[in-house]
Amino acid sequence: MSLDYVKFSNGFEKFMPKEYRDMVEHGPFGKKVTVSQMGNFKEVLEEHPMCAGCAMTLFIRLAIIAFPNPEDTITVGTAGCGRLAISQAAIPFVYGNYGDQNGVASGLSRGLRLRFGDKPKDVVVMAGDGGTADIGFQQVLHSWFRKERFTTIMLDNEVYGNTGGQESGMTNRGAVLKMAPLGKKFEKMDMVQMAKVAGCAYVATVVPNNPRRVESVIKKAVLIAREVGSTYIQAYTSCNIEYAIPTDKVMEDAKTVENDRYQFTEYVSEEAKQYLTERYGYKEFLAKPAAPAAAIPGKA
Amino acid sequence: MYLVADISVEICAAKSCKLCTQYCPEANTIQYSDELGKDQGFKYGSAYVAVDRCKGCAQCVWVCDNMAKNNAIKMIMIDQLPKAALTENITYGEKSTTAVLASPVVG
Ligand SMILES: Cc1ncc(C[n+]2csc(CCOP(=O)(O)OP(=O)(O)O)c2C)c(N)n1
Ligand code: SF4
Ligand code: SF4
Ligand code: SF4
Repeated sequence: MSLDYVKFSNGFEKFMPKEYRDMVEHGPFGKKVTVSQMGNFKEVLEEHPMCAGCAMTLFIRLAIIAFPNPEDTITVGTAGCGRLAISQAAIPFVYGNYGDQNGVASGLSRGLRLRFGDKPKDVVVMAGDGGTADIGFQQVLHSWFRKERFTTIMLDNEVYGNTGGQESGMTNRGAVLKMAPLGKKFEKMDMVQMAKVAGCAYVATVVPNNPRRVESVIKKAVLIAREVGSTYIQAYTSCNIEYAIPTDKVMEDAKTVENDRYQFTEYVSEEAKQYLTERYGYKEFLAKPAAPAAAIPGKA
Repeated sequence: MYLVADISVEICAAKSCKLCTQYCPEANTIQYSDELGKDQGFKYGSAYVAVDRCKGCAQCVWVCDNMAKNNAIKMIMIDQLPKAALTENITYGEKSTTAVLASPVVG
């Protein structure tokens, strides 16, 4: 896990596929890339079998670009659609049993700290809403209560997409799905609130129709998890198959849902604010200069 | 046959806002070239599509029409494109890419 793992072994360069050569020579490793440079550098995400037009795919693409140190990052995933793409990136990917991703990530992040000391190695979990809020719920919550230092990202498509449309805890009440034909009877789980109660240092909700915001949220979450504690991002990543969203309307849907019930929210603990400011030069948490007192008419 | 996205250099280069690639779900599919359109007097280059990676979702069409308000992208049957960009013919430079166009259909 370092820049060395993406370099060519002596004599092998000419045998490597073009995509690999492009990635070594023009990829983001060891450099800082931003979403505004997209289309001009070779991404580490390669072709994958996720559905055409899937918002989850776009989110994963943006998230990987936003990793502060891709060459020092390990992703952890589980059963569900997202792993089909996450596993096709030139970043080590650990795939456990369905739902054990936060347990695996806990061991991994502790092990990396023992092995590499202070040199940051970032662990990022990306799993579906079923994997995070249903099957993996217990391990997710416990990792947060233990303040394990890694990032958990829920790819919330509000359904079990990979297995054809069962309801999850994150499905909205009343939603009718292929394998929930009577409509869901319970409310969507409030995982954001649970993350705060469990002591996460950073909690954000985001929708992929604002790429720069996705970038900023991912960077903060990964940096805070290096030292301060658990971080959680909940991203609305619609399933155009199970919710029958025409692929050219996926961003319109994201916008509607964002305005309606998935507004951008961000909680940053005081300790995390201080850490980002002091360690990484963030300016947004500095005290704002006091506004000049409003002039009172008639007073000099 | 199937549809892929096709970007009109003349229309895109007049704006060249670089929005569409930030919304294409597929990596390295909508690329940029600072050189495209320069021969026609445009300053900022244009987006283009590596059609071998395009899954035909038309999200970029929505973005260009509704967000960029530039209507530069159309969906076209791949065999109706005499020449297109393909991953194997794309070269990365310091800040931009170039593509040698070739027939996207074998035979
Ligand atoms: C222990 C176990 N139970 C069931 C499955 C079958 N399974 C695979 S993916 C999946 C649902 C995934 O839903 P979610 O986590 O919401 O991700 P999505 O596919 O919607 O992205 C299920 C039930 C499994 N792989 N392992
Ligand atoms: S089934 Fe749904 S979530 Fe899964 S890849 Fe297809 S559109 Fe995306
Ligand atoms: S959104 Fe339209 S105008 Fe903007 S770069 Fe893409 S094709 Fe060109
Ligand atoms: S049609 Fe979809 S996959 Fe193809 S270039 Fe446009 S957004 Fe990308």
